[in-house]
Amino acid sequence: MTLFDTHMIMQVLFAALIGGIIGLDRTALGQFMISQPVVAGPLTGWLLGDVTAGLVIGGTLELIWVLDMPIGTFVPADATVAAVAATAIAALGSTTPGQLPVIGFCLLLTVAMVPVTMFADHLMRQRNAQIPELALSPSGGPTESSVTVWHLAGLIAFFLKAFLLCLALIPAGLLLVSGFLALPDAVHRAMSLFVTFLPLLGVASVARKLSIYTLDRTLLIGFLIGAVSVQMFHVPELAAIMLAAGGGWMGMRVHDA
Amino acid sequence: MTHNAAAIRTIDLLGVFWRSFFIQASWSYDRLQSLGFAFALIPILRRLYPDREMFTRRLAAHMEYFNTQPYLASFILGAAARAEEDRATCRHDAADVEELKKTLMAPLGALGDSFFWGSLKPFAASAAVAVLLAGAWWAPLLFLVLYNIVHVGLRLSLVFIGYKTEGDVVALMSRHNFTRLARRYKVLSLAMIGCIAGTLSAWGTEFRIPVSVSPPLLAAAGLAFTLGMIALLRLGASPVKIMIGLAAACLLLALGGFA
Repeated sequence: MTLFDTHMIMQVLFAALIGGIIGLDRTALGQFMISQPVVAGPLTGWLLGDVTAGLVIGGTLELIWVLDMPIGTFVPADATVAAVAATAIAALGSTTPGQLPVIGFCLLLTVAMVPVTMFADHLMRQRNAQIPELALSPSGGPTESSVTVWHLAGLIAFFLKAFLLCLALIPAGLLLVSGFLALPDAVHRAMSLFVTFLPLLGVASVARKLSIYTLDRTLLIGFLIGAVSVQMFHVPELAAIMLAAGGGWMGMRVHDA
Repeated sequence: MTHNAAAIRTIDLLGVFWRSFFIQASWSYDRLQSLGFAFALIPILRRLYPDREMFTRRLAAHMEYFNTQPYLASFILGAAARAEEDRATCRHDAADVEELKKTLMAPLGALGDSFFWGSLKPFAASAAVAVLLAGAWWAPLLFLVLYNIVHVGLRLSLVFIGYKTEGDVVALMSRHNFTRLARRYKVLSLAMIGCIAGTLSAWGTEFRIPVSVSPPLLAAAGLAFTLGMIALLRLGASPVKIMIGLAAACLLLALGGFA
């Protein structure tokens, strides 16, 4: 069976369409954060039949990129396209759903996607500079319809940016995954191991941006509450998270008092 | 000037609120949110300036340079609506809407970036990822609920607060202490990501480290690894470079038979 048969081409187009629609939420429309990796990844995975890949990729990328902020004219790495494309590649390129080595490899591929997405974003926003001029009607002044039409036309530019990026990145990733699957088992084990370390990199990435201390007191309180409650008292993990949040809150109130 | 212009109705402000979700639809480096601001204010201008020429003049005035945090733009939209109303009804002839926008956009931009991007989003993300690592499929929904209750609620109320207070930032801050709220969200985020590292041995199967060591030792190793990563990031290493390094290290471990 060839890699890009009609079914696969349709799936890639569908994935690119998902990327284009979700990509609108990133800047242009609403910003309800559907475009955040922790949502965009699982949503893409669910639509393509591999929720596990979406959850693992989305959750991992979320912590790593969450504090890359769009301040002023700075345009951060497009974690949305990265999450959608990586999930689509994992979902369409795996032989079975939730194949951890392929997921790890796709997470590694996002590293290569970052500069491509940033360049595309930069290019599109430069092009958008023409829109306000176009919104001035031929008589020289803006009208309600000219402002509405040209302003909303910007949505098409944002959609196309994410759609075309996905359309280019997903087939390229699928080719690389087919090559990856032929590599020795040790490489596959390495990628599975890679996945398990990434949440801790995410934790470090968030802690680095939220606190000026490496040994932050609240971070350590959360760690102790989590470790002790789960290991000594066998508290369910969800309850441990609530306890840690409560512990951090209490610590803050005591500090403020 | 239309001296008998009708006053702004709640439905007009709701129209501004709806359109505020599109404020960045044509975001560009040159004009940033200028066209978006004009687009969002159309229901107000339509109401206040039935005269076509006056409408066009005021719409053009709102197409000047404008940029702020997109959610807090709602407050400025409300304030601009009030200033336009004052101008149109001659309540305040000298109402300088452009100056008001210029005065508000920079401080609200900084405040909003710090609050929404720098504290609310990491808080929702930390909670969602903590829940996801515990194996809960509803983690994305938790993220959306935690984030959007605050986001949409504030966006709606800010249009009305901006209108009622005429863009008084002090009144806004007395109602919503963003600085204190941001600090609280950051503390909660740090506690939850600390918990993520502490519960390493209980993570879902996809993330479970394939080594047979006791859970306390694994947690300690996880903490040491995390602190090492924080130190590396503080030294200027980017997450991308660390990811490549980690992949290389994992490959060496696998080739050496340790994984």
